[in-house]
Amino acid sequence: MKMVLNTVRMIDHDQAREYTFGDSQSLKENLGIGYINPNDFEKLGLVKSLRVQLSNNYGQVIIKQEQKENVPEGIIIMPVSIWSNQVTGVENGEIIFKNIEVEVEATRDPVPDYKDLISKIKQD
Amino acid sequence: MELFKYLPQTNCKKCGYPTCMGYALALLQGKVKIEDCTPLVEEAKYKEKYEKLIELMGGEDGKEKELHIDIDEDLCDGCGICVTACPVNARFCPPTLSGKAPDVPHDKHQLFEVKDGKCVLLNLEHCRRLEAEGRERECHVCEIYCPREAIKIVYV
Amino acid sequence: MERIPCTGCSLLCDDILIGTDGLFVDKIYGACLKGKERFDQVSSKNRLTSPMIRKSGNLENVSWDNALEKVKEILNASSKPLLYGFSTSNCEAQAKGIQLAKKINGFIDSNSVICLGKALNIAKETGITLTTLAEIINKTDLIVLWGSNAAESIPRLLNKILFSRGKFRMTGREIKTIIIIDPVKTASFGVMQLRDLALNIHTGKDLDLIRVLKEECCKEGSFPKEGVAGIDEEELKRLFLNLMGAENGVIFIGQGLLRPLPEVNVIKELFELVNLINLKQNKGRISVGLLGGHYNMFGFDQISLSLTGKNHSLQFSNNELVNTEDTIITKIEKDDFDCSIIVGTDPISHFPYSLSKKLASKPLIVIDNRKSATSDMAEIVLPSAITGIECEGLVYRFDHVPIELKKILNPPSGVLTDEEILNQIIQKIG
Repeated sequence: MKMVLNTVRMIDHDQAREYTFGDSQSLKENLGIGYINPNDFEKLGLVKSLRVQLSNNYGQVIIKQEQKENVPEGIIIMPVSIWSNQVTGVENGEIIFKNIEVEVEATRDPVPDYKDLISKIKQD
Repeated sequence: MELFKYLPQTNCKKCGYPTCMGYALALLQGKVKIEDCTPLVEEAKYKEKYEKLIELMGGEDGKEKELHIDIDEDLCDGCGICVTACPVNARFCPPTLSGKAPDVPHDKHQLFEVKDGKCVLLNLEHCRRLEAEGRERECHVCEIYCPREAIKIVYV
Repeated sequence: MERIPCTGCSLLCDDILIGTDGLFVDKIYGACLKGKERFDQVSSKNRLTSPMIRKSGNLENVSWDNALEKVKEILNASSKPLLYGFSTSNCEAQAKGIQLAKKINGFIDSNSVICLGKALNIAKETGITLTTLAEIINKTDLIVLWGSNAAESIPRLLNKILFSRGKFRMTGREIKTIIIIDPVKTASFGVMQLRDLALNIHTGKDLDLIRVLKEECCKEGSFPKEGVAGIDEEELKRLFLNLMGAENGVIFIGQGLLRPLPEVNVIKELFELVNLINLKQNKGRISVGLLGGHYNMFGFDQISLSLTGKNHSLQFSNNELVNTEDTIITKIEKDDFDCSIIVGTDPISHFPYSLSKKLASKPLIVIDNRKSATSDMAEIVLPSAITGIECEGLVYRFDHVPIELKKILNPPSGVLTDEEILNQIIQKIG
């Protein structure tokens, strides 16, 4: 299902805090997550235990999901992190963090670990 | 407040309180019983509201209750809006007038302070809900202005 | 107990009371969660305490001499070094960074180029009305948050500007109006009351709203009946009335308004709108506040402007500044670099995957106080002191007011300040 991704600052999901005080497990739990409207939750056929896969021409990533009333329909919001940056990109010499088109679908696959993302960036 | 919705809202004063809002507060504090509002009990048009009130109070009306201000530690992010908005703090702690943190050690009337990134309740006995008169007793600025809804005023 | 400035975010609150036992900060009054966590960084478990070099795939502790020797090796072998970060260093370190870039014919840039430093560039064309925090606290009667979630990015901002009673507006919250324009109903909406205006605009449609308001400035009664971008006609009229009737209004802009559009520029049109409103209304004026995150992001703009005349993206060649349209983004995208020095920031986590991959493919020298994804990939890691606690200096607040930071603790032994490290590198390469 086509949706629009906005990456935002959330005081409970802060990448800098997890790097300073947490570890790779807390990083994944707090930052590999996205929030959607309850109507979109139903349209995607989700239940609490499933994950969602986001993909577009910049890349793809699998994250946890949660429904939240205050998110408008058609939008998915994620805290800014190394997870959300798998699907952001550069356009006309500038980074885009908001209003990114993504294809969203439910999946059983797990959220990638911090180590997996790092090796993906490191390998040639 | 929740209870006020189910009262006649006529301010008839039969219960002895000048306004239904004042009576609702006394009900919340357990100072009166639901039956003290005679129009609610006697008039058929208020039957639904009467029954709903009985359900809401759960038999706890008439039992004197204490004021508690609960601060959810997980939700609080130390923004200090409660410290600046509280009228008691504003009167006794001059730095809060321009949004600054009050001096330490705190004034003996000070109600809220932010310590180690979280809001802490200090001297509840000086809260307006206990010490003031009239409309000031209905003060709830700390509860309604908290952006994370971490403060709850309860009577237990 | 003493009052010191906090370096948690760009608000730089100077009313924080701390108590210390000489080794750590153990009592903090007044600081929000972000500020408190900044003080906790002193003793965090992921703190970097020793220089490190990558040997056979792993980072190993070495002496400062070894590390600096390796830095010299990498820099001598490179002809197109990049320097990036600096928004969490004091102004003295930023000036040293520019000096180093000049010496090694490097390209230096700061976080402000992907954040609100862009707005300053645009302000050179349109002009901008700025204001200071003291004026906002004491005089403002209208606050607009556009594309910014102040309650979660700068927690104490709303406390200071909306709830304070100020010297010229004695009754505080009751006579101040706040308008929030945001597609998502964020925590900032929680401070609103009846007189305030909540506008849940459709995502990405800020330009439509700006244009409709500009039109109304020029010709009254021109609001479309069906509204615009999810905002109906009534709300548009209320918004316009508030802007026109404000004696001292402030519009805060955040990340929500930054986007690359090929033809038009949202921020430029917003500044033009503010100028139009100020021309038309005669009660007072509207100013603009730029809410950046890091506590010394605007410091780099100021230092760079005063040293070179350009506020970011400086390319040096033969000891001179040369003209360039490049930014750190384009340099990495084009692979136009052969090593990089990253100071106090974590681009591997913060940049899109395509840029991180390119950045990681060349040697990385990291100067930081804690471990991050960038330090995990670095060739050399140099540990630095925490500015504002273990190191004093000059920084610039979000409203461009300079603040002097204090030093209240010594850094762990073997850890130097950003300025000292950059100076040592300059001395080493001779």
